[in-house]
Amino acid sequence: MPTTDDNFPSHDLPERRRSDEMGSGSQDPQTSFKSIFGGPSRTTEAKEAELNSHQHSSHGFGNVSNAPAKLANQNVAPFLAKHIPEHYAPLGPRSILPPELNNASSKYCYRHRPDLKCRRQADEPSMDLLQRELETLPQTDQQSISHVWSLFSAAPAKHRKLLLQGIMAQCCFPQLSYISATVRDLIRIDFLTALPPEIAFKILCYLDTTSLCKAAQVSRGWRALADDDVVWHRMCEQHIHRKCKKCGWGLPLLDRKRLHESKRAIELRATTWDMDRTETGTPPRELSTEPQEEPTSTGKRKYDASSELSIVKRHCSSLGDDSEKDEDFYKTRYRPWKEVYKDRFKVGTNWKYGRCSVKTFKGHTNGVMCLQFEDNILATGSYDTTIKIWDTDTGEELRTLRGHESGIRCLQFDDTKLISGSMDRTIKVWNWRTGECISTYTGHRGGVIGLHFDASILASGSVDKTVKIWNFEDKSTCLLRGHTDWVNAVRVDMQSRTVFSASDDCTVRLWDLDTKTCIRTFDGHVGQVQQVVPLPREFEFEDHDAECENDSLSTTSADTDPQSLQASMRLAPNATYSQSTVFGPGFENGRAAPPRYIVTSALDSTIRLWETTTGRCLRTFFGHLEGVWALGADTLRIVSGAEDRMIKVWDPRTGKCERTFTGHSGPVTCIGLGDSRFATGSEDCEVRMYSFQS
Amino acid sequence: MAETNTQELTFTSSDGKNMKVPRDVAERSLLIKNMLEDLGEATEAIPIPNVTENVLTKVLEWCTHHRNDPPTTGDEDDSRRKTTDIEEWDQKFMQVDQEMLFEIILAANYLDIKPLLDIGCKTVANMIKGKSPEEIRKTFNIQNDFTPEEEDQIRRENEWAEE
Repeated sequence: MPTTDDNFPSHDLPERRRSDEMGSGSQDPQTSFKSIFGGPSRTTEAKEAELNSHQHSSHGFGNVSNAPAKLANQNVAPFLAKHIPEHYAPLGPRSILPPELNNASSKYCYRHRPDLKCRRQADEPSMDLLQRELETLPQTDQQSISHVWSLFSAAPAKHRKLLLQGIMAQCCFPQLSYISATVRDLIRIDFLTALPPEIAFKILCYLDTTSLCKAAQVSRGWRALADDDVVWHRMCEQHIHRKCKKCGWGLPLLDRKRLHESKRAIELRATTWDMDRTETGTPPRELSTEPQEEPTSTGKRKYDASSELSIVKRHCSSLGDDSEKDEDFYKTRYRPWKEVYKDRFKVGTNWKYGRCSVKTFKGHTNGVMCLQFEDNILATGSYDTTIKIWDTDTGEELRTLRGHESGIRCLQFDDTKLISGSMDRTIKVWNWRTGECISTYTGHRGGVIGLHFDASILASGSVDKTVKIWNFEDKSTCLLRGHTDWVNAVRVDMQSRTVFSASDDCTVRLWDLDTKTCIRTFDGHVGQVQQVVPLPREFEFEDHDAECENDSLSTTSADTDPQSLQASMRLAPNATYSQSTVFGPGFENGRAAPPRYIVTSALDSTIRLWETTTGRCLRTFFGHLEGVWALGADTLRIVSGAEDRMIKVWDPRTGKCERTFTGHSGPVTCIGLGDSRFATGSEDCEVRMYSFQS
Repeated sequence: MAETNTQELTFTSSDGKNMKVPRDVAERSLLIKNMLEDLGEATEAIPIPNVTENVLTKVLEWCTHHRNDPPTTGDEDDSRRKTTDIEEWDQKFMQVDQEMLFEIILAANYLDIKPLLDIGCKTVANMIKGKSPEEIRKTFNIQNDFTPEEEDQIRRENEWAEE
């Protein structure tokens, strides 16, 4: 039997192992031991041979080459020379692979990136242990063992496999058991840094907030990935319209806009991500790929002019001076997404645990009946016949609007105007910045107790049982008749050209502004309906909550929350058919459907969530002890205020009352809701603002 | 050679092994599917240069089990749901050592088998979830290369997420 080293039959092994003569070299075994096991990427590189068919011209066996050279004696030298020709037979034959194959593999295999030390490195202590173990043996044993090791070290993948097979074939069960116990522990791979960044990001995007923040603390490599905009942009995106039970999260409009704009750039970033660049320099943000969005004056103009902006503008602009606005804009735009997320997360947990600061606004001399706030401006209307404008930052009363002759029951303001309705049967339009009353509208035959405007359409609800529609563009008006008692609240939706109205006749009605007819009546409340609030169109009523709850678990268990399961089952059929057509022929030609969900509150002490497409009441919220006068709602929460002086925060999806606030000494009559705060007015003449900003 | 129903293709793994693969199983890989669409018919063995035989066998096992799944609908649905749930068969399938898991992920990425890539990534995500940094390091054999000061600072930076 020929016993050339590169043709090492396994049945020869026992003999060879017993023979002390094998490896008769005279080199220092310790040196060779060190050199054999010292290279951090040795094992993996050797495996690479399997993929690359012995081609190692790029990075070779760098770490193991020098010392084993000393070991090169008559037994080992030919073996080494054959398999590591770069070092042992520099002029020897080399197999030539097409370069593109090498390149192709190096693109996504950590084994082809010797700069990434993916194994062994952290195992140094066990190497020392092995070394000490070896030193306890007689010199000759040390030599022969190190020879076996060096042979193995020099062998290419195919031969190594054969060697291993030979060794394992001789193992008895206890030894095999030892191997199987040891092996799983040895195969531990740093997936995130070894995989291509785009896959690493994909993995990270499956993590919850807490796990992501833990991942950022693992190592430099992990931190660079886990803190990246790619991941946190996605986290923000996933939380825009929905509320995670764990974090109770929402994104302000300005950030939503930016989120949308930067999506493409972020996707590009994920595919071209380079850790070194990210670690050393400043991370290239969307700026580089969105030159048209640069914060120059032109960029800003573009921003202001774009479509969605009417809302953002209403919220954010012109309440401060221009330079301040630019600064805010810039700050928001270039903040890392993790920071954006963190802020909202904090607000979310503050909401969740009821951690807030309270500011009280005192000055009215009679019950406060209506209010609204935007940024730092708060407007309140009272039975004392005045409207007051406050600075919410300082708590200061900025001015008082006088002119109504009776109590103010409703108001709304935007950038340029404030419109108020009063028990004196008039509607007044004010310049709230100067306090000047611009015009007064009469037309109702009773007090004006509810109003709402959207674009150029104003709706008003009155003691005279009618809803009046005022069109500021063509100066036309019309009356919507149908309610049989006071109309307490109205809401215009210009997208669908419809109006909701809530009345003391215990019903809520939906009106078509094109035909001036009532197209839906919501029956169910057994008390006078005080408020109606359409939910934003992004609001989804489904089983997402349960999914969120599973966020921290890692198993297959699916949705088991009976509440949401029930909800999703009940809603499933409706999701498929066209929402618009159920409202009649007028909605057939692509006209937007009215908001799908509305919430209402009534003096029967309940709040109800309705589906407008079917007219069904999906959920009733019980908890208030007396009539619910005030209501605010967004995609994340419902806030209500009642005669019982309490303010309650509800989860619209589960129907659970999440928190109750007390503090007013009279019935709560009105509520304003923002993403990080809410304000309430009461018959006790005071306004309280609860802020969840940290 | 090309029967329409049970057409078989031959794959050659990176270590030179040939394997027969039914066409519908092979087409779970969008890379192969697109290639076949471009070529029309594949009469010769198709080299899979980045995947070794044992990994390819495993990947094809998955493709065979999922050969009748509806085609993937793009990732829109996935981006909306952030679940790491894995169906039972796939969970069992993924009970392999880290090296194999690693290779499956790379192979799924190379062969463009998105659902398999998703499952692989979810499996790794589940290995990270709920662990402390030190536990994560242990799981993946990662050296902590932060200085104690850095470590402390980074821990404080991330404290907000611990509720």
